[in-house]
Amino acid sequence: MPEIQLLRASAAASGLRGAKAEGRGFLGVDPVTQNDALLARELTRQGAQVYRAGDTLVGYAPNHEQPRQAFLASTSADPEPIRAVLAFLSTYQRCTSFVAMVPAGAEAAKAFAGCGFEQTGVLRDHRYQSGGYQDVLVLAKGEVPCPS
Amino acid sequence: MSFVTVRHFTEEDIPLRTELLRESHFQANLTDFAASTDDDGLAENQRRTIEEQHRTKRMFTLCGPQKRVMGFAWITSIDWRNQCCELSFGVLPRDRGIGAIAVIAANQYLRLELNMDIIVNQVLDHNKMLLSAEALADQRRVRCDFDSYTVGEWRAACYWTSTEQDVRDQQEQEAIRRREVADRIRAMAQQLS
Repeated sequence: MPEIQLLRASAAASGLRGAKAEGRGFLGVDPVTQNDALLARELTRQGAQVYRAGDTLVGYAPNHEQPRQAFLASTSADPEPIRAVLAFLSTYQRCTSFVAMVPAGAEAAKAFAGCGFEQTGVLRDHRYQSGGYQDVLVLAKGEVPCPS
Repeated sequence: MSFVTVRHFTEEDIPLRTELLRESHFQANLTDFAASTDDDGLAENQRRTIEEQHRTKRMFTLCGPQKRVMGFAWITSIDWRNQCCELSFGVLPRDRGIGAIAVIAANQYLRLELNMDIIVNQVLDHNKMLLSAEALADQRRVRCDFDSYTVGEWRAACYWTSTEQDVRDQQEQEAIRRREVADRIRAMAQQLS
């Protein structure tokens, strides 16, 4: 499992900008329409934490309505960084339920599928990008038993 | 495809934009508040826009080939729900001949990425840097006398909105103009050879 390095919000913002197209829609933010200050502010507002694992950024934001659930995002098709964050969330945050909202066509969908996420729905025309409304896939990995 | 790209305005851009704010044409054509504001005040104002004013104002940097800065665009009076905003420009003196291309690129960005539907443009009546006198007269949907007092004179302003179709028409006209120029150059080259 790769080592994940926690980033400050400002470093996460510049990392997402560097991720180009795969940074769009990451935990609902968008480096094309939001500057670094706004990206950092939005991630902070969500209580999100973003990690670097090699060239991949992976992150989560807690669901404040359901504290055992976390929203996840990734910038690549590699499932390993997500596995590392799932292990962290399970071990340190006692999370048992995980949701990812991935823009249709994004590479990250493959990574989540590789970690056992299943598509539970589609939000039609949920976000605007490049001149059109785009679907967002809702992927979920439910009820992972708590280790303790 | 346009060679102009639009990116977010950053702290590194502040000195160059401050220099532009102090330039005489800029002050006559847009606003002369920089004449009575010190460097720290101008920098702080721009920093505040970068860090805090995202709901009401956004600034962008217009770049040419090799990411060279050509100028700046900023939107104000943003109505996110109704998808409209007012667009302003400042093009650096060295690039004013191709400023119109930068204007088109900014318009495209606002429509394709920020989902703006109606963009309000405003140009002071005497300003012919981005639009010819004919184009300005044609665009003069609303003329507002005594709109601004800049560099010791009252200026009238022309206001107009542009829709997606307007932008497409402009792009087509620009493409035709470029083809004509290319054809002329080719013809001249053939005559010389």
